[in-house]
Amino acid sequence: MLAQLSRFRRSFLDVREGEYGRTLFVSLYLMFVLFAYYILKPVSRALFVDRMDPDKLPGLYMLIAPVGGLLAYVYSRVTMQISLKAAVNAATFFSIGFTVLMGYLIKFQWVWTYYVFNIWVSMFSIMMVTQGWVLAANVFNTREAKRLYGMLGLGSVIGAGFGGSFTAFAVTLIGENNLIYFSALITLLAYLMFIGLLRVPGVNLEKAKAHEDEPEETFSFGDIMRDIRHYRHLQVIVGIVLLTFIVDVTVEYQFQVFAKSQFKGRELTAFMGSFNGIYLNLVNFVFQFFLTAAVVRWVGVGGVLQIMPITISMTSLGIFFAPGVLSTSLARLTEAATRYTFNRTGMELLYLPLPLDLRNRTKAFLDIFVDRFGRGFGGLFLQVFTVWLAVKPRELSLVILFFTASWSVLAWMAQREYLRSVRRRLESRTLDFEEIRISVSDPAVIALLESTARGDNARQAAYALRLLGETEGYDAMPLATSLAGSRLPDVRARVFSLAAQAADESLLPQALAEIRNARAGATTASIKPAVDYALAVSPERQDLAARLLNHPSGIVAEAALAMQPADSITLEWVSSMASSPDVAKRRLAAIALGKLGDTGTPLLHSLLADGQVSVAEAALTTAGALRKRVYLEYIVQRLADSQLRGPALDALASYGSSIAGTLRDLLEDPQLAANIRRRIPRALEHMRDQRAADELMAALSVPDLTLRAAVVEALSRLRRAAPELNFGPAAVDREILDEAKRYYVLAASIDPFRQQTSATGAMRLLASTLEERLTETLLRLFQLLGLRYPAAEIHAAHRALKGRSSEDHSAAIEFLDSVVDREAKRYLMPLLDDHAHVLERAKDLFGIQRHTLESALRELIRSGDPWLVCCAIAVAAELKMSSLKADVLALEGKAGLEVDRLVAAWPN
Amino acid sequence: MAELNIVEKVIALEAVDLFKNLSGEQLSRIASIAHQVHIAPGRTILEPKREVDSLYVILDGEVALVRGAEMIHTAKQGEVLGSWALFDPEPMPVEARAETDVLLLKIARGDFYDLLSDNMQITAAIFTTLVRRFRQLAGS
Repeated sequence: MLAQLSRFRRSFLDVREGEYGRTLFVSLYLMFVLFAYYILKPVSRALFVDRMDPDKLPGLYMLIAPVGGLLAYVYSRVTMQISLKAAVNAATFFSIGFTVLMGYLIKFQWVWTYYVFNIWVSMFSIMMVTQGWVLAANVFNTREAKRLYGMLGLGSVIGAGFGGSFTAFAVTLIGENNLIYFSALITLLAYLMFIGLLRVPGVNLEKAKAHEDEPEETFSFGDIMRDIRHYRHLQVIVGIVLLTFIVDVTVEYQFQVFAKSQFKGRELTAFMGSFNGIYLNLVNFVFQFFLTAAVVRWVGVGGVLQIMPITISMTSLGIFFAPGVLSTSLARLTEAATRYTFNRTGMELLYLPLPLDLRNRTKAFLDIFVDRFGRGFGGLFLQVFTVWLAVKPRELSLVILFFTASWSVLAWMAQREYLRSVRRRLESRTLDFEEIRISVSDPAVIALLESTARGDNARQAAYALRLLGETEGYDAMPLATSLAGSRLPDVRARVFSLAAQAADESLLPQALAEIRNARAGATTASIKPAVDYALAVSPERQDLAARLLNHPSGIVAEAALAMQPADSITLEWVSSMASSPDVAKRRLAAIALGKLGDTGTPLLHSLLADGQVSVAEAALTTAGALRKRVYLEYIVQRLADSQLRGPALDALASYGSSIAGTLRDLLEDPQLAANIRRRIPRALEHMRDQRAADELMAALSVPDLTLRAAVVEALSRLRRAAPELNFGPAAVDREILDEAKRYYVLAASIDPFRQQTSATGAMRLLASTLEERLTETLLRLFQLLGLRYPAAEIHAAHRALKGRSSEDHSAAIEFLDSVVDREAKRYLMPLLDDHAHVLERAKDLFGIQRHTLESALRELIRSGDPWLVCCAIAVAAELKMSSLKADVLALEGKAGLEVDRLVAAWPN
Repeated sequence: MAELNIVEKVIALEAVDLFKNLSGEQLSRIASIAHQVHIAPGRTILEPKREVDSLYVILDGEVALVRGAEMIHTAKQGEVLGSWALFDPEPMPVEARAETDVLLLKIARGDFYDLLSDNMQITAAIFTTLVRRFRQLAGS
């Protein structure tokens, strides 16, 4: 009980430094909004019930569902276009204005005003209350929200309570009209809290959106219908939601009719105020914060879904045998309170075993449409029974009993479907535990997980054990203890992890046995968790760790080393390990050097050059952690090894941007192997800071095209990963111009080859290579544009230009035309035109002349691009172009082995 | 026959279905690890019970493919022997025997893997080809 109270206090009052202002103003904002709403709600309902015949109520329900839905849709579309700040401003002043207008119009007692007022109040709830929570979501991050939402919820509860009790107290003194005006005043107070919130340091709502636009776009009606037809689980959910709202409308009708029979005029408003604002709110609060979680744990999803139909059946029987305001109030209280608490939680859990994408789209659909459709259908149902068939309110209880019986059957089916879905997802191990935390408390699910944990399927069993271990309030140790001798290593691994988490020493003998049995080179999954556990709980952990350091199993020794304090490791011991012929011992030495620091420099050099991947990998990690320049050369050399490239890149990234300049020097060093230089941009990219970005920008001047492509690629990725970095607009503009010029030069070179439509052999190969070069140059150009303009949109435009849709193509050109600045457009836009136009612009802009076949080949032979040179020589030889002989022979000994072979074969 | 130059090797490799999504320049990298091999008539190139560790492109000559005593095909210039050998060392169910003087371009699996590890784009293009082939097989 004390723990529960402490948890309760923490969930409400854990406000930290820097959060006070925001928490205060958002709580007060919600409190005043709810205050105003709980004045308007009872007043609107009471006025309608008091001034109109009961047979008009079904019509009101039928009207509120579609009109309210339509207005909510229009409101969401409008707010999608504007910021949250603008939406709050607009909604507040519109609400105040409309509320004052309604207060005035109600005086005339025109029939239509009661309908409009009730619809307006449902709209107020969507605009102001929902918006209040959107505001909270934008002011607090996810971690803060988890802690502070209890406090904000408390503000709402107090506001609703105040609103209801104030209405009950004040209506007899000032009347309904003045109450409506008063609610407008309270709304203004809420707005003042909003203004106060904006002045709190760190709160900036200029860029916050009032409404996210994804849900509208993420599902189509046809898809949802198909999903519902396909999944029985969904059919059951839809059935329960429909019945919930039909019964809701019917119970509300009975309540209002009997309230009218007991109270008149202002008394009725006072009663409605007390009922909604105080009693219903209080019961909801107690149920939600003190009972729901415990009841869910106790009776499970199936049980919790039965609560609502069973309690409504009982209260409906009460109405049938003792009709009156007391029994209908009790029924309404039970219905509304269980719907907002137990049923809502049960329904949320019911969705969880569904695949995430299916869950998201169907839940949005059910929340938006089925809810309103159910209420509208409830109104129609009431119209048929009460107006056309003249069924008395008391007799409606029997009809409700029929509905609740069907509901109960559906809830039973829901539990079966739920377990079936959990089992299926457990088998495929796709249960998202973060989201299913509460539902794992369900007794049926726990039984299922326990039996899975004892099963023969290693992965499923370990997974089930993990889920159980993370379940709040579940003691997994008895089960873990019984599984400590499992023949499945995955299960034993999980058992030792659980025991370590629980600091339970009882499994120490089993863990030591596991360690004793570990062979050299064995990779059994349970070894490391056993060592970690033994070293965590053993009373002689230091001695044990020292003993295990010499264990023949590398896994055991490494886990033991991790527990050793740095001063207990000696250079002598590391040296003896480093010179051992045993790979595991050399790897251990490489790891241990991380604890010794610089003392072991010569040793680490030799380990970095070790021929065994696992040793060199550990040495790279250690070198990265030590961040000493003496290791740089060794690390860079390892970039050439495909098996060590990843660890080498990580090690270089660990140094941070202090080595960015050195890396650029290496990138530009022609003496360094090309396959190493090509990887350096990636290392700079991993650093993700301004200095690395500056060095990459400077490296764009590298003449080698392959290297330039790697640099542009790295810059492009860096831009997407760290959009806040500055790439220097003027420098990027220069590079864009250079790249565009390259494109024009290539386009001019390719022209004579495009005219050779029936080319074969080397000629065809050269033509296709030039086409590829053109495509690659355009890609680099767009990657550079992405550094200067919105990256995602520029990449999308590039994709559209490569695609086949002429519509997308036009849209991309339109976009570039509107985004790219005038100077860049001059040479960029013609590139996207037809080939003849490109050649014309090449001449106008850069004076690039069209080529003959011979001049094009000469230029390619002189280009310095190894592959293009090879192709060009082969074509010249094929065509026996003796006029190019001097150019070809001039390359001898200068352009690599393959070119030399071609030159040597050149006909004399 | 004289040693092929790099461009000629690339043109020969264009015939390999597995490489059909590669650009000329990417093929030139594969060409750089491809070696010319001469096989005398009657010599066996692939044996049914021995692991296959290389792919061969026939540059010249004829190769008989025999299953048991039955001759199932005569492979000629441009055809490929052991195209899956680059990924799967399992022995082929047929014997490949030189019928005439045969000139082959040989790509060893180890060299090929080294090349792939250094050239991500080649790896991606080969994956694309393999996935398309799987799709075709699944579709048929």
